[in-house]
Parts: sequence; C-alpha cells; structure tokens
Amino acid sequence: MTDDRTRRPFRLALGAKHLKRDVDQEIEFHIAMRTQALVDQGLDAETARARAIAQFGDSAAVREECVTIDTQRSRAVTAAERLSDIRQDIAYALRTLHQNPAFACIVILILALGIGANTATFSVIDALMLRPLPVSHPEGLVTIGDPQATHRLSKGTPESDIASYPGYADLRDGNHVLAGLYATGMTSRLDVVIDQTPASTQPGPTEAEHPHGRFVTGNFFAVLGVGAIAGRTFAATEDRVTGADPVVVISYAYWRNRFARDPAAVGRPVIINGARFVIVGVAAPDFTGDIVGQPTDVWIPITMQPVVMPNSPWLAKRDVSWLLLMGRLAPGVSLETARASLRVLETRSLLENAGAERRYLETALRDKPLQVGPGARGFSYYRAAFASAMFTLTAAVAMVLLVVCANVANLMLARATARGREISVRIALGAGRMRLVQQLLTESAVLAIMGSACGLLVAWWGSTAILRLAAAGPKPIPVDVRLDWPVVAFTIGLSIATTLLIGLVPALRATRSDVASALRTQGRDSGVETTHGGRLPLGKGLVIAQVALSMLLLVGTGMLVRSTERLEHADVGIARDQLIIAEVAAQRSGYTDARMNSLVRDLMARAAAIPGIAAVSVSENGIFSGTESATSVQVEGFTARVDSDTAVMYDDVGPGYFNAVGAHILRGRDFEARDNESAAKVMVINESMARFFFPHGDALGRHITADSAVWAVVGIVGDARTNDVRETPSRRMFVPIVQMRHPPGTFRVELRTGGDPARLVDAVRRALMASDPSLVVTDVSPLSSLIRESLAEDHLVAKVVSFFGAIALVLSALGLYGLMAYATARRTTEFGLRMALGAEPGAVIRMVLAEAMALAGSGIVIGLPVAVAASQLIRGRLFHIGVFDPPSIGIAVIILAITAAVAAYLPALRASSVAPLAAIRAS
Amino acid sequence: MDDLDVNLTRGTLDLLILKALSWGPRHGYAVSDWIGQATGSALQLGEGTLYPALHRLERQQLVVAEWGLSENNRHAKYYRLSAAGRRRLQTGVSSWHRFVEAAANALRATAPVPAA
Repeated sequence: MTDDRTRRPFRLALGAKHLKRDVDQEIEFHIAMRTQALVDQGLDAETARARAIAQFGDSAAVREECVTIDTQRSRAVTAAERLSDIRQDIAYALRTLHQNPAFACIVILILALGIGANTATFSVIDALMLRPLPVSHPEGLVTIGDPQATHRLSKGTPESDIASYPGYADLRDGNHVLAGLYATGMTSRLDVVIDQTPASTQPGPTEAEHPHGRFVTGNFFAVLGVGAIAGRTFAATEDRVTGADPVVVISYAYWRNRFARDPAAVGRPVIINGARFVIVGVAAPDFTGDIVGQPTDVWIPITMQPVVMPNSPWLAKRDVSWLLLMGRLAPGVSLETARASLRVLETRSLLENAGAERRYLETALRDKPLQVGPGARGFSYYRAAFASAMFTLTAAVAMVLLVVCANVANLMLARATARGREISVRIALGAGRMRLVQQLLTESAVLAIMGSACGLLVAWWGSTAILRLAAAGPKPIPVDVRLDWPVVAFTIGLSIATTLLIGLVPALRATRSDVASALRTQGRDSGVETTHGGRLPLGKGLVIAQVALSMLLLVGTGMLVRSTERLEHADVGIARDQLIIAEVAAQRSGYTDARMNSLVRDLMARAAAIPGIAAVSVSENGIFSGTESATSVQVEGFTARVDSDTAVMYDDVGPGYFNAVGAHILRGRDFEARDNESAAKVMVINESMARFFFPHGDALGRHITADSAVWAVVGIVGDARTNDVRETPSRRMFVPIVQMRHPPGTFRVELRTGGDPARLVDAVRRALMASDPSLVVTDVSPLSSLIRESLAEDHLVAKVVSFFGAIALVLSALGLYGLMAYATARRTTEFGLRMALGAEPGAVIRMVLAEAMALAGSGIVIGLPVAVAASQLIRGRLFHIGVFDPPSIGIAVIILAITAAVAAYLPALRASSVAPLAAIRAS
Repeated sequence: MDDLDVNLTRGTLDLLILKALSWGPRHGYAVSDWIGQATGSALQLGEGTLYPALHRLERQQLVVAEWGLSENNRHAKYYRLSAAGRRRLQTGVSSWHRFVEAAANALRATAPVPAA
C-alpha cells in the first residue's frame, strides 16, 4: 500500500477553513478527554476543564503552528496530485490514441501540414527579416545609406543611397559619432585560379572558378567583431595604399567546400583576375558577410579594386557610387544623434564636390536625406523585395492552419461524442468537469505536440521549397534558414494555440452532457446531441467555416494566378516573345574605344547572318537586364520648374534598334548606319518624353542638350516597359552607341527571331564567339525568360498560395465527407424506412447530395464577401485584375461545388443501398 | 529555553511520538498520555506542544492521519506510523542511544584531554 502519499479516492476541498476546523476539533477533543480524566479523579467539571486548558499550554500558538504546517502539507499534496494527474492524463491520452492509430496518424499528419506551413513561412521571415547578423553586439551597428541597395552601381551624379570611396573617406574621417565605419563594394565576376602546388589535394586542370567576392575596407572584420577560425582577418592598415595588399580572407563555407577545411589553405596563393593574392585567413563559421541572402566567399581589401578590375578603377572617383556603409555607434551615442551628425557631414561632402550638379544635389538631399538605420540585421535586397510576398504567404498559411484546426476540431468532437457515455459515467461518479476537460485537452495537446514535431520536419523542407520557388534560377535564395530558438518558440506558441483551438470547444461540449439522459440512452448514442442538438450544428458550423476559408484561399489563388499570367503575357511595347538578348563584356575582353565600334559592327553582321534571325541591333542597357542609365537634359524652349524635371532615362543603341526590338516608331525614323561617329548627333525620344518636353509642338527636328552635346530629335518611339512589367514608362531617350564619347564596356546584342527564340540561343552564342574566341559573352537568354525572372516573386506567391489553396480544399472535402458519412450512418433507419415506403435510391442520393450542397453553399455565401474584402489586402500584387474578379470567384465556386459533390457522393451511395428490412431490424 | 534545548527536546519528542505509535494507531491525547506515563512526567512539556510535532511528522509523511471514532464515540484524529515512520523510529532509536552514550561518556570525563 502506498501509504506514504495520501491518495484520496475523492477529491475533497482542502480550503484553509477546513484545515482550521480540523485543528480546532483535534484540540477540543484533547481538552475534553483531559477534563474527563480529571473529573474521573474527583474534580468538579469546571475546575477540571480549567486545569485541562492550563495543562495544554498556549492553545492559540499551537493552533496557529498546526494550521501553518497543514497548509504547507496540503499545498505539497495538491502539487503532487496535479503532477500525477498530468502524468495520468498523458498516459491515458497515449493509450487512447494508440487504440486508434489511424485517427491519431491522420490528425498528426494534418496538423503537421498546417503547423509546418506556418513554421516554414516564419523561418524564412526570421532568416530574412528578423535575425541579427552573427557578429558581436549587432545592436550597435548602423547602416548608412539604403540598406537594400546591394545590387546598385551608379555612375554620374553622386547620391546618398550608396557611397563613392572618397565620399566614404569623408564620413569616416569627419565623424565623431561612430567608433568605426567600414565600406564594402561589389566586385565584377571573379575569375579565381587556385595555384596547384605539389602538395595540393585538388588534382585536375586549373580552371577558373567564380566565387562571390566583395571589396572591404581593412577595418571590416574589426568593426563587426568577427574573428578568424584559421589564419587572421584583415589589419586596419591593409587599405592604406592602392594595390599594396594582395591578400584575401575566405568564408568558412568556401574553405569547407573548396579546401575541405585544409589548414594549409591559409598561405596558399590564388590568382584573381590575373593578379596574385594570398589567402591569409578563414572567417568565423557562421559569418557569410553583412548582406542577408548574398553570402560572400572571398573578401578582398578595397584598395585592391583597381588591380582586380583594371578597366574600371573606382577608388578615386566621386561620381561612381558603389559602396555600402556600416558603422558602429560610439559609446553613449544614440542612433538619432548619429543620424543628424552624419547627414550634416554627408551633405557637406557631396555639395563641396558637386560642381555643376550642386543645385540638383541640394534638391535631391532635401527630398531624400541620408538614411541611417539600425544595422543589426545587415543589408538585404530580398528583405524589401519579398516583404509583401511574405505577408501574403503568412495570411495564406494562417488560413490553412485555421482550416486544419476546424477539421481536427471536428474529428475531436466526433471522438468526444463517441465517448459520451464514458464521460457521463465519470461525471455521475463525481469526477470534476474541469478535471475531465483537462484530460480531453491533454489529448489535444499530445496531438498538437506530435503534430508540431512533425511540422518542424515539414518546415525544414518547406522553407527551402519557398526559397527555391522564390529564386529565379535553379538555386534557392541562399538564406541561412535554421530551426533556431525563435522558430521553435513560434512553433511552441502555435501548438498551444492549436491545442486550444482543436480541443477546448469539443471538451467543453462533451463534458456539458446531462448525466441522466446520457445514462438513459444506454450509450447507444451520446446524450449530447439529443439533449442539446449540439454535435450536428457545431460540426456543421465547422464544415461551413472550412468551406468559407477555402473559398477565400481559392479566390485569392485565382486572382494571383490570373494576375501572374497577365504579367507574363502583358504587352510591354516590344516584341517580347521573339527576342534574344546577349550580354557581351567587351572591355573585359580587352576592347577599348576605337576597336569597340568595329567590334559592334562585326558582331551585328555575324548575328544577322544566323539563319532564323530577322533583325539585330545593340544597346548599352539591356531590356529586363537590371541596368539603367539616367542623365539630365536641357531642352530648348522648356523651363524646368523643379530639378527633377530635367531627368530622363537614356540608352545608347545600334542602328535599326527599334525595328530589331519590335518597338513602334510613331513619327520620324529609326537609327541607321549613316548615324555614325562623324555624322550629326541625333536622338530618338519616347512618347512620354515628347509629351513632357513638347506638349504643344512637334518634337521632331528640335534640339536637346545632354552630356555637353546637342542632339537633334529624329524620331519618336512608342513607350515600352523595359525593366519591369508593372512600371509606368518614364521619359526616355536613345542615342546612337557610336556617337557616345565613350562606348560602354559592356553591351547587349538584341536579336529578333522568326520562331522560338529558345532554340537559337546556342547558335547565337557560337556566332558571337566566332568573332573572337576570347570574347566574354556572359549571358544569352530569350527575353521571355528574362521577363519571367523579373516576375519570380509573383510566381512564388501564386505557386505557394495555389499549393495552400489545394491543401485547404482537400481538408474541406475530408471534413465534409466525414460529416456526411456520420450523418447518413446515423439516419440508416430513416433511409431504410423511406426505401421500404417506396423511395427510389436516386431520391435518397439526391437528398444527401442536396444537404451537402446546402452546407457548401452556406460556406460559399459566407466566404464570398470575406474574399472580396480580403482581396483589398493583395491589391498591390494584382496586375490588371480588379479586387472583384468574377472569373476567379466563378472558378472557386465551381471547384468547391464539385468537391462537395464528390465528398458527399460516397455517403449518399451508401445511404441509398440500405436494405430496408435490415435497417429497421437494427433499430 | 535556549535553542539547544529546543532542538534536543524536539528530536526526542519526535522519537517518543513515533514510539508511542509503534503499537498501533492512537489519537493525540493517547500519545500525550503514554508519553507522560512512560517518562514519569519527567519531561514537563505543555501537552499542546505535542500537536505541532504530530502535524510536522504528518507533513514529513512519517505518520498518516485519519479521522475516526474514539472509545467514547467522539470524532478523533488518529495517527499511525507509515513505513517510513517505522524506519525512522528504528534508526532514530539507535542513533539516540549512541548520542546519549557519547554525551554521557564525555560528561563523565575527568581530564581536559582524553587519554591517548
């Protein structure tokens, strides 16, 4: 007998009142007994009692001490009992789930899907938007400039978003608010050859590889507080003299993948773009740079930039903005103080060196002052680019989880109802309601926890899937998604919420049962529904909710898919489906000004000779290539009201450009071969530019001053969207590429094909290389795939939301099926009677189907206005689709109706095949 | 009484209570009576002192309490030894004997340093 622990068969109240009463009673008993004993010895009753009380001593003190001790004991007992209750409940839950493994598996699977989808989305959000950089004291870091400008390179008028090297030096040397300020800059593609020493473990030919590099100032690692796991990081002095420090630090990942963690990698020479460097160290394992989503493999001292990129030395140039700046606040300096101080410094630095652009810069800085923000999370292009996508996804997965919970709650309800008699008996025997609710909730919790555990696995796979879907190319966005503690905490929170959502209502409902009636029905059916009409309406409500939520997701899916389709096939103003764009890095291949023009002509001639090519031209900036040029112009007879009025986009292009890309010349002419270096300078402007500068007259023949030269307008071309399908076309001008003072170092060849451009990609590459085998042709792609890449985010959202829509649909179908199967099984007798009385099986089927349709219909009717309202939230993502989109709604309704019919058909069929006699006899 | 005496008394009292219960369940009054008779009233305790000790033993799960009817048909709280209480009694008695013997030896000493 476990007599050491008081285990009470019935739970009695252990209140303070009880304890006091018991102690009083005990003391009173003692005094009474002693009095009696004294009376027996011959004392009179009064004297005896007084003597007994005196012998007892200070009874008030005794009483108090006893009550204190008992209170402590009762607390310990209650705690122990509660613990043992929980243990019992868990054991009981596991036992009942084990008795019904199919139920448990289905519920866990469904929950895993719902929780996993949410965790996956959250883990991506965590990695992209929440997690601080793995550096020491990230909270002290500040970004200076635009933290999203990780892809930007701007030549021309300096700006405050990104910095030039002299501009960086001004801020670094002039400020008193930062303990340190470093700069990092993008590299061109690196051709890295790792020297094959005899000791090398990497056999094979020395072929160039192309790790991701970044130029950094010498204090980069020191400011971040990142150490080396092997060798050393840079010394602050390793950016003093241009070209003097041929050293690199590599990332842990590169060290692991390329050198198999060989300690001898430190000290190895490497050839980067033809120049000899030495690896001096490997950075700490977690550290992949300060840009989230763009891990760096190789860090190079910034003063080596002219050595690595000899054709574009940027160090001395104030008009080349290419650097991201990050500082560490000096002790005691607030972000606001630093921001104010750095703005003053930045303005002075830019204006003192501005020259002719001073006025423009003043306006620009007033409109858009220097950004100084918290730098703990580093820089990221993806953070901003995918913020709205992640928001849409979060909404979608939250809805999926709600559908999941409604579904599981329904299953739990059915289970609790099936156990109605057991529960009634236990209530009749005196079990507390809260105790039973706790027991039923424990079962939900066990399911939710198992579901969450499996959900973490789903999330692990799912987050990679999201990043893979989001990336344009075959590789996922390289974000380090981990199931770290914020993610796990999020999942735990979800599982608690899920437990309550799936368990609380069924548990309360089941234990509300009226004891007498439940016992009377002998447990053949639960008393719950007959007495309260409870189970069916609640179950119905949950199914309707699922259908309504599915409606929401399906309508959203329809709108996003249709919007993406429209984006992909939108008319951008050029022959988008016939173009191939090839990128030629001529300068890297050794071509300079004079030879460049002949290269352009040679390439055009070769490309035009490819069978299947209808027209060829070239341009500096491509179409959907991500590069863009802007300048300011003076137009005769036009007075600018604000400085930005003079800003235009421009491109320098080859002869026959507009014909080649399929743009529409509205007036005037295309460029021709006669517009050469020695001919008069001419330009073609687009419709927007013509309307803006010449609202009343004809633009043709007018003159525009740009780049210190005067150009005559010879043509007006229709507006085209050449960077983003969604963009509003801006004012844009085109000049002949050969009339530029300096031809561009990289240009694109545009080829219009007769048929499918994808088939000609190889032929184009061969033809271009045939001109000069050493020519660097970096990319040859059909325009349609470039456009598709620019729509990666839309694809991601459409695909993922479709996927979740499908999940919700399947779950709703399961829910509806379960409900109908249950309802028809309960009415076996009724169907039997109907058939006995002559009802056709078809009539029974129609009856059951009609009920299912009524449920689905209610869900649709409730979901429709909600869906239309919710579309407002994704309005920003939609392209040429209104927030009320009848096709999407129609499709959603049809899909839901068909799903409902399919889900109800099997139960209907079963109902119609009831043998009348058997059914009646069974009752 | 100073602290030393209290501790000594409390440990001794616990032991005496456990001993009193070693013959079967008793209520507090009976325990008090037994201790009085068995010690020849040498301990001079207030009878009430017994109860906190009993409740403390109950909290330590050395005794188990149950309400029952007394010989004269009154509600009384009966205490009995738990298994742990019985074990404590055994170890308590033997260590008490050791303690008393050691203390008695020490008190009988005639020289400042014990003979080597």
